[in-house]
Amino acid sequence: MRRLVFFLVCAAALVVPVVVLASGGEGSGFDGVVRSIEHTYHVRATRIPFMGLASLISGASTSGGVRNLHLAQFENFSLALDGEDLTSMVEQKLGPSWARVVRETSRGGREQTLVFMRPEGARMGLFVLDSDGGELDVVEVSVNPDRLNATVNQYTHHHEDNEDRPD
Amino acid sequence: MNRYKVAMRIGALALAIAGFALLARGQDGLPLPSPVEKELAARAADVTEVTLDKNMLGFASKFMTDNGDDAHVRKLISGLKGIYVRDYEFDKEGQYSMDDLAKLRAQFETSDWSPVVRERERGSKETTEVMMKMVNGEPQGIFVLDAEPKELAIVLILGPIRMEDLGSLSGMAGLAGPLGPISGAQHTPKPNTSSKPADKKGDDQ
Repeated sequence: MRRLVFFLVCAAALVVPVVVLASGGEGSGFDGVVRSIEHTYHVRATRIPFMGLASLISGASTSGGVRNLHLAQFENFSLALDGEDLTSMVEQKLGPSWARVVRETSRGGREQTLVFMRPEGARMGLFVLDSDGGELDVVEVSVNPDRLNATVNQYTHHHEDNEDRPD
Repeated sequence: MNRYKVAMRIGALALAIAGFALLARGQDGLPLPSPVEKELAARAADVTEVTLDKNMLGFASKFMTDNGDDAHVRKLISGLKGIYVRDYEFDKEGQYSMDDLAKLRAQFETSDWSPVVRERERGSKETTEVMMKMVNGEPQGIFVLDAEPKELAIVLILGPIRMEDLGSLSGMAGLAGPLGPISGAQHTPKPNTSSKPADKKGDDQ
């Protein structure tokens, strides 16, 4: 019995790294895109500390209007990007559930903007990749428009009430 | 009737239904990028593409309030089936040909689509063409082809839309430039049912 367990553990230890390496080790979704950019352009994303906490706070402060905030920043990113290659890489990593709604690309490759959307029930996933020639940012967020609107209106009315109040 | 014949007939019927379904989808949905669009994108210095289907428009409309202008735009875009924008900016003149324009226009040369505006300025070599899709006398789509010496823009809006609504939509991302030349139009031209395009300015080339 012990031999069998030992054999299974060894087999798993060998198979898992092989599978990960075979898949490129980049994963899919937001992380897949970020890792693929790092791997392809030999750059490192700036790690933003407490991003998970910031995502939680944004969710709580908007009553669930904004959730699952992910952000990766590539500073001093001045490489010229091939718009077609970048688009197909992002499309491949995000998968078919995401629809590309905006693409702006310049031939020089310095400026690139990609916006993808994905319906998530009452919410909508938004994925934005933007490069302005000096910095490349990747953002993913899940938005509930009704709740976000309610939060925005709450502050708008509060601001209007303050303006109407006589001095 | 033997089983083979029955199976053949059912198969033929299924194929016909699938064909009609595909045809209907092609008429209602946004078009796939044509080969000429890819060629233009390859020649252009800057390319902007916006593709919003009914789901995405419905989502975008939720961000608008029920007050004032927002309410009108919200109602307008929530009824649309799709918005398709392509804008190509070129480094120099002559990067696209009349043949390219004809290819872009070709998919709208059906009985549903009628040319309503054709504006050509000989001096500046600028052309603006507007075609409207009419179904049972109701507007169900607008196609705009705006050609400038160093810029080419295509806008396709599917769904119940009128010329005077274009001004409201020009505030949306990607539409300000291409709709600029025509969004100021405050009238709804009657669709030209004849095959001859309607000239807004009579100096055709």
